[in-house]
Amino acid sequence: MKLAGRPELTERLCAEYALGTLRGRARARFTRRLREDAALARAAAGWEQRLAPLLEAVAPVAPPPRLWRRIEERLAERRAPAPGLWRYLAFWRGLGLAASGATAVLLATVVLLWPQRAPEPAVAQLPASEVPAVYLAVLTDPATRRPALVVSAGRSAAQLAVKTLDPAIHVAGRSLELWALPAQGAPRSLGLVAPGEKAVLALAAAADRALEDVPALAVSLEPPGGSPTGAPTGPVLASGPCVKYW
Amino acid sequence: MSGAPEPLAALLAATARGEQAAFARLYRLTAPKLFAVALRMLRREDWAEEVLQECYMRIWDHARDYREGLSAPMTWMASIVRNRCLDWLRRPAVEVADAEGEVAAATAAPGPGPAEGLDRVQAARRINECLQALEAKQRQAIVLAFYEGRSHSELAAHLREPLGTVKTWVRRGLLRLRACLEGAGA
Repeated sequence: MKLAGRPELTERLCAEYALGTLRGRARARFTRRLREDAALARAAAGWEQRLAPLLEAVAPVAPPPRLWRRIEERLAERRAPAPGLWRYLAFWRGLGLAASGATAVLLATVVLLWPQRAPEPAVAQLPASEVPAVYLAVLTDPATRRPALVVSAGRSAAQLAVKTLDPAIHVAGRSLELWALPAQGAPRSLGLVAPGEKAVLALAAAADRALEDVPALAVSLEPPGGSPTGAPTGPVLASGPCVKYW
Repeated sequence: MSGAPEPLAALLAATARGEQAAFARLYRLTAPKLFAVALRMLRREDWAEEVLQECYMRIWDHARDYREGLSAPMTWMASIVRNRCLDWLRRPAVEVADAEGEVAAATAAPGPGPAEGLDRVQAARRINECLQALEAKQRQAIVLAFYEGRSHSELAAHLREPLGTVKTWVRRGLLRLRACLEGAGA
């Protein structure tokens, strides 16, 4: 349904959306459009606000105490390490990977935390405005939101540098496996992260190809030697957006 | 809508930063109203609880999407709850009990609520005046749709009128309501 140039239809849809009589597939379509069309979202919110005083007539009813307890339990689950990778994927897909403000902070953090890097000119020697052409990812612990690993690769280099910020992420007797999480398709293993402050992983191709279309990285805890299946099997210990910087 | 200080907006902002204590306060202040809204639409306490649980998790996850300039905090949260209720009512298995059930009676009883700002009371009075100015059938259709989440076809069945007639009542009723609220008279 075309809404452009049809103010009366737009107004009616917004009103019936707010009232609740816009239903079924029409409502689902309209809801999707609200996400893409700011003017439409404003008009619909205007109608919701217009009808909101009707809510004053609804006398409050205290929900049973168990309701808040259940919500608290679910919040606690969110904070605890989860068993599988996919939950985390859903978790930070929900957050949105394109948090540009966060990315700027990540870059600043990397520049500060990593004053010298082997394959590229040292960051510390560069003017603040010039960071070499690299892929960068800061992987954070979803539970504490503290950075655990920094991963970087020069765009033409066929290797990844991994710096461990939180040594506790390495677990004796288990392997830490790094995964590329492509925009589409299943996670691809990038190899095992050896314990220690710094590790280097060989890439199958130059970073420009290996990390092209990889918006995020994650590390999972795996049996010694890595995942037996080729897909992540253990809990995700850290994850974060992977950005191109040049 | 309100020029008064709005603590709910501050609590939503703190919730967006992941502050669970603020979220707990937000829940205490808003859950009784939102629970009542869900009860009115779903007419079953267990469903209302389930919907509210999902909605507060959604509020926790999406508090950062709240835009103060777009709608009042309570409107934004009520919209999440009403939308989820409407989804719920879409499920084919849902057989909604009659509106005049005991839950409806319970919700009609006055309950303790947070002190309401004068402007909110005035807004409620104003929309009531405007509702009263509508034709009775338009008013009935709009009120049933809003509070009970009735669709056009459910309204038609309930009011024993053809679907097209009911759609027209709703459409015209909403237009007249807006005109009245904007002070152009009804």
